[in-house]
Amino acid sequence: MTSVDAGSTQIYQVFIKASPEQIWEAIIKPEFTSRYFHNARIENTAEWHTSHGPDGSLWGDGPVLEFDPPHRLVHEWRSLYDPDLADEEPSRVTWEIEPQEGGYCRLTLTHDRLEGAPKTAESVAGEGWMFVLSGLKTLLETGEPLRKTS
Amino acid sequence: MTTWSLILERVVDDDRVFKALADPTRRQLLDRLFERDGRTLTDLESGVEMTRFGVMKHLRVLEDAGLIVTRRSGREKLHFLNPVPIRLIHDRWIDKYTEGPASMLAELKYRLEDEQ
Repeated sequence: MTSVDAGSTQIYQVFIKASPEQIWEAIIKPEFTSRYFHNARIENTAEWHTSHGPDGSLWGDGPVLEFDPPHRLVHEWRSLYDPDLADEEPSRVTWEIEPQEGGYCRLTLTHDRLEGAPKTAESVAGEGWMFVLSGLKTLLETGEPLRKTS
Repeated sequence: MTTWSLILERVVDDDRVFKALADPTRRQLLDRLFERDGRTLTDLESGVEMTRFGVMKHLRVLEDAGLIVTRRSGREKLHFLNPVPIRLIHDRWIDKYTEGPASMLAELKYRLEDEQ
């Protein structure tokens, strides 16, 4: 087991009734992410992660460190969507998809190496990842994006 | 794909979360993880009036409900708060009621209590 730095790690988990392939597609393709990921159009290839806002501006990018469809995706994270966060050190996001019984998958998202990005850590810890993961679940299980609540 | 089986499975998930939250010690453990995430059992145990075994039992209920996720780090087991199940309950149950008068009353309560 790799060591975990408690202070600079956040872990989120959700069970989704969908196949690993469906979840993988929804994570790597911009036409899906724009429906649950704060309207961001995110593309993950085997080499590079990019995120664009609805107006086309660059919200984040970085190398893809692991690309193992449909199980595991690891990429760097930079918060370019907010000038206050953009200058912080890059952090790391890991997506893990594990098939479960009954047609479910367990999706675990780990956002770590946040020691050089305290403002990013605070920003994604609030509504950030929680809204993304509940939105992804709703989209895959019902075909509808979540109602925007705020 | 909103079929009956999906609805029933969600009811079971919700039950686990509500039961897990129905205990003051477990809510206190979640609050402590909210303050600082990734704590060890020893750390969590020091804040509550309970035996180590009792705290372990509560942590297991929280883990079964998906409210905490654990990771091993060397010889230690770290506990992380996973707020997503609470968010899902919020999306499904609370949103329906809080838009409008209910949210105004909640707001009023917080304001009045803040002033005290």
